[in-house]
Amino acid sequence: MLGLIEKDIRLTLARKQTLLIFLVLALVMGLSMDGSFVIGYLTMLATIVAVGTISYDEFDNGFAFLMTLPFDRKTYVKEKYLFSFLSAAGAWCFGVVLYCLGSAIRHQTVMFADELPILLALLPVLFLLATVMIPLQLKYGSEKSRIVLFIIFGIIAVLIYGINKIFDGSDIMSGAVKTLDGISPIVVLVSIVAVCLLFTCASYLCSVRIMDKKEI
Amino acid sequence: MVKVDNLVKNYGDFHLNISMEIPDGTVTGIVGKNGAGKSTTIKAILGLIKPDGGHVTINGKETSKLTGAEKASLGVALSDSGFSSYLYVKDIICILRKMYKTFDEEFFRNRCISQGLPFDKKIKDFSTGMRAKLRVLVALSHKADLLIMDEPTAGLDIEARNDILDMLRQYLSENDDRSILLTSHISSDLESLCDNIYLIHDGRIILHEDTDIILSDYAILKVNEETYEVLDKSHILSTKKENFGYACFTSEKQFYVDNYPGIVIENGKIDDLILMMTGGK
Repeated sequence: MLGLIEKDIRLTLARKQTLLIFLVLALVMGLSMDGSFVIGYLTMLATIVAVGTISYDEFDNGFAFLMTLPFDRKTYVKEKYLFSFLSAAGAWCFGVVLYCLGSAIRHQTVMFADELPILLALLPVLFLLATVMIPLQLKYGSEKSRIVLFIIFGIIAVLIYGINKIFDGSDIMSGAVKTLDGISPIVVLVSIVAVCLLFTCASYLCSVRIMDKKEI
Repeated sequence: MVKVDNLVKNYGDFHLNISMEIPDGTVTGIVGKNGAGKSTTIKAILGLIKPDGGHVTINGKETSKLTGAEKASLGVALSDSGFSSYLYVKDIICILRKMYKTFDEEFFRNRCISQGLPFDKKIKDFSTGMRAKLRVLVALSHKADLLIMDEPTAGLDIEARNDILDMLRQYLSENDDRSILLTSHISSDLESLCDNIYLIHDGRIILHEDTDIILSDYAILKVNEETYEVLDKSHILSTKKENFGYACFTSEKQFYVDNYPGIVIENGKIDDLILMMTGGK
């Protein structure tokens, strides 16, 4: 597992120029923009970059050799989830630091007690991106998985739009919004984490199955 | 020990069905034409593909169920796959250090230096020979009990090939129990290294023989039409029509030396074995 993490760190660092551009953009955003957008931006970017190491593994038929190294396929899958989460968490922390710095420069007070549950909720929610991308990339490869991802997000967007259209202005919608407003932020955070955990477990089991069946 | 027991793998029209054994302390070569099934066999032994039938075991355990610790005793070099070409040799050292408890960093570093493999150059900028040497060095770097190598010398010049063969010979000389399974198109590499040879053709093993016996007992008889008519063909494995008459491949050279003193007899080589056994009539 440690060897795989080492490999992924080094593969990620091999994209120094891209990372540098992302970092500069994040710095500019964090120090100049109001709000916590930079935290979400960095977390999402780090997740995408971490999952992208799968395409580096696949490149040049690299999977064949990789799977002869001393770990089993399940460990490979585990490491991808762990590495993606660690990258997302690291980026989230960096984003929070930038957000605080930006607020300090603009002489704004950060109300941590109010904002922390929402900021914390960003991490599991954005990590869901990895839980969708990892099994897709393992199953379809980096090129095809992008198309499948677009299709999935397209379907989600249509569903959200459709639901919005159907319930727009109805009592059900306003009732639901009122009910959600009444729930404590901590309860919302715990519920989001629980749902994301469940989703991650389901995604992990799918990925293990895909890898077990994969012919290299 | 590696045991391949009635391994079956089907890809469309291609059907692989083989059995073989690689005992500890031996060097086994697999030869055959392109598409004969050599790489599929290697992939099945490494657990990279799932057999449609049969079993492949290493030290009694199905290869698909090998744990990380058990896989650490294997050293693998594949012709078309290796560490990501975006990495440097210095990256690979750090990765191997964490992957293998038995990684011999000093050996690896020294060998990289002596083979002219720079630490601070991306693998994608390496020449074909440098990449091949790196793949073999990675396989040798953690004192594996069994090396599995698919075409380790393919596409290399004679000097690079000799370097790789020397590395393999030294690996073998350090421990009598070490084994190598390799495929190669270059017969001279196999003749100088292998204890025994499997010849695969159209997904089947058509010959398994000790290398010494191939080199001492196998031969090509070159005969004209008249001699061919009267030739005792009970020891002829394969015959090919040639301009001068017939080329006959035999595993009993001495029989023909003793009984047909007038005919031309050429010592058998692995190239002849492949040509005559897979292309003759």
